[in-house]
Amino acid sequence: MDIKNRKIVGQVLFIFLAFYLDGLMKWAFLNNMNHATVAILPQLMLMMIVMLTMRIDNRRQLITYGVVFGLIYDSYYYGIIGLYTILLPLLMVGIDHFKFLLVKNNLGYELSIYFLSLTFLQSGIYLLERLLQQTNTSVFDFITYTLGPTLLWNIVVFFILYIPLNNLSEWLVKYRRDNK
Amino acid sequence: MQKFFSNKKLIILMILIIVTFGLLAVTVNIRDKKSTPPVVQQVGNDVVSVVGGVFAYPTNAVKNATSEFSDLYNTYSENKRLKARIGELAQNQAKLEVVQDENKKLKQELKLTGSLTDYTTVNASVLSRSPSSWQSYLTINRGQTSGIKKDMPVMSGRGLIGRIVEVDKVSSKVELISTDNELNDKFAAEIVGDNKNITGVVSRYDSSTGDLVMENVNSTKNIKKGQSVITSGLGGLTPRGLYIGKVYGIKKDNYGMTNSVYITPAAELRNFTVVTVIKSSVNGEK
Repeated sequence: MDIKNRKIVGQVLFIFLAFYLDGLMKWAFLNNMNHATVAILPQLMLMMIVMLTMRIDNRRQLITYGVVFGLIYDSYYYGIIGLYTILLPLLMVGIDHFKFLLVKNNLGYELSIYFLSLTFLQSGIYLLERLLQQTNTSVFDFITYTLGPTLLWNIVVFFILYIPLNNLSEWLVKYRRDNK
Repeated sequence: MQKFFSNKKLIILMILIIVTFGLLAVTVNIRDKKSTPPVVQQVGNDVVSVVGGVFAYPTNAVKNATSEFSDLYNTYSENKRLKARIGELAQNQAKLEVVQDENKKLKQELKLTGSLTDYTTVNASVLSRSPSSWQSYLTINRGQTSGIKKDMPVMSGRGLIGRIVEVDKVSSKVELISTDNELNDKFAAEIVGDNKNITGVVSRYDSSTGDLVMENVNSTKNIKKGQSVITSGLGGLTPRGLYIGKVYGIKKDNYGMTNSVYITPAAELRNFTVVTVIKSSVNGEK
């Protein structure tokens, strides 16, 4: 296997790991079932995907990742297909489209992009679910009890994980062509 | 018009919107109306859940260890309280065995093969919980091959926690009783006490207090705080006698028209890693 394919396998493996961690973190630490007012949703897969999107230049590859992992996420966690499947590739194309504006990747830029994409994704899911009457939560309740805590938790985790994640995603994407 | 359709981006946007709503509508319909999702989705979910078991096993071990640690704090007071009840329990158990035996014999006499209280169980361990605020699903590692069907009730150690909402080949999803999905959170229930036949429907979950709300109660006379609430077995796949919780209080609704009974759920919906799926021996009409 040449280096390029090996890097792709590595990327897929790490996105999968983050995918499982989402469900397990919710189950093990954020499992507030008896008093379910505040809902914190771990979004580690999104974190991984945003970091990779900032570094991968091949748009076709990005859309493939978005659709495949979106489908798996929807089918396994949500039971209805069409939330992540659509929003994730859209988001990745969006980031890819505007990332030329950023001179160099650093914590501030990436944090704000993660913040924006998380807001976009959660609001999109809320709007779609509300339209299809899967929930009757009001907009204010959504912002106070779901979006706010989710953003807060994930931003803190992003801060803590930034350096390892940064090194990891650099290593997963960058390679020298002569180095077979 | 010519110009409109020559715009590539607009067409992409249009197709995207159609695909989104098409996919969502079809899958929501399948989930609500069919007993199983399409085979492709089943296989996909199964593969993901089997691999996920590798990660879930250590997580559950850690979870068990931490909950044991927190249990240690309450041990002394709990022990005192439990000692007082042990004598009573032994007596009840002896009585229960005699009564069960008698019940079995009487049923044989009547040639009654199954009644509303008969059920068998399947144990399953939890693989993950959906990181979603409105789909409060647990994924468990048993499916069609273990005889699980959609809508079967699910218990944790102490009480009812929810209902099966999607069945794949070797995994399935449990929707928790604390959901606000109106199709799925209703359980026919009755209050156990001297007063006969107080029935209603557990139909809502009050997320601010963590109480279940039982509505359509036929009479609220003689309901006391602390009485047990069990499933009544009326209407379908839920057998009679699954423990839901204890009566906490009675409140009038916003219009002052009907009374709702508030129930403290028996199952602590936090510290468990294994659930029990209940298979009723008597099936409701299809």
